[in-house]
Amino acid sequence: MQSRRERFEEVAPGLIEPLRRFLARRTDPATAEDVLAETMLVCWRRAEDLPEEPLPWAYAVARNCLRNAERAARRQQRVAARLMAQPADAEPPEDPALHEALDTLRPEEAELLRLWAWEQLTPAEIALVLGITPNAASIRLTRAKQKLADRLRKIGARAGHEESREGRRS
Amino acid sequence: MTDELHDRLHDRLRAADPAASLSPADPERVARLLEDVMSTELTTENRATGTRDRGPLTWLVAAAAVLIIAGVGLFGVLNHGDDPAAPPTAADSKTVTELTAPSPAAYSAKCMVPNADTIAQQTVAFEGTATAIADDMVTLSVSHWYTGDPTDLVRVQAPPADLAQLLGAVDFERGGRYLVSATDGRITVCGMSAPWSADLAALYEQAFGG
Repeated sequence: MQSRRERFEEVAPGLIEPLRRFLARRTDPATAEDVLAETMLVCWRRAEDLPEEPLPWAYAVARNCLRNAERAARRQQRVAARLMAQPADAEPPEDPALHEALDTLRPEEAELLRLWAWEQLTPAEIALVLGITPNAASIRLTRAKQKLADRLRKIGARAGHEESREGRRS
Repeated sequence: MTDELHDRLHDRLRAADPAASLSPADPERVARLLEDVMSTELTTENRATGTRDRGPLTWLVAAAAVLIIAGVGLFGVLNHGDDPAAPPTAADSKTVTELTAPSPAAYSAKCMVPNADTIAQQTVAFEGTATAIADDMVTLSVSHWYTGDPTDLVRVQAPPADLAQLLGAVDFERGGRYLVSATDGRITVCGMSAPWSADLAALYEQAFGG
């Protein structure tokens, strides 16, 4: 039987990098660092509960810790815009239309899409992170993709429309 | 949705990944983080995961405590069993949660700053006013239960030496308002049980969802 320490030492180094990325995508660097430490602490405390494939489980822990941190931040009224992903170097986002489209989705839908495309999780793994059934994750993911594609089309059309109007004016 | 559309969406999202430009963590910092984490004493060590390295004496003391608590409980049950038809008197009608002081080792444990996550793991958490303090018992009148089976009163019973230590740690004073949490019937210290403050109350609220 593996000891708690052995299990943690075996698993933890592999969790850090994905968790850092997970947090960098969802919060500012300072909060990300705090929440990473807190997440690892929970993993350490519950090392014996770590499943065979620990990453989705760790994402779920990080998600909870982040939610707590954000609730605390909101309570202290420090920031309003922290919920939005702020990349480490806070450059304007790559693809503004995409971010705009993501923003128009419900937060759960946007989170499904992030877990799918950024964390590269399967629907079964997404289900673990969000605490829903794999079936629900799969259905909601399909719906969210559909919705995102729709929104992107609309934003694209609007941009095209504005361009063509400008074209006419000149 | 066609596969092609699906792939395009995936690629477009991938391309906008805010963490794409994140450089890998400095290995030294990672090592330090893991070291820090593993050197954290488990303040919630009465969870099954934290009891591995306890000495036999601790277990003996714990077993004795269980027996005493069970004895007190049984005594209560038997007493009440005397005449089940008797109407409860005013004093009896108040429900009571019995708690005890933490093991002396808890005071020397290294503490984390109290956080909602740790507080959320407590099985009992409430806000109450200390109504009586005796050598071996503190009585609190509960105004709000965060978690646990709600009762009107909470009694913290412990041998005078243990209770004195608890009084010092939590700063219990008659008439004071406190936030108190416990697991396995033992008050948790390390700042998690303390005089009421807006900050700690916020953590409690956060831990138990208001």
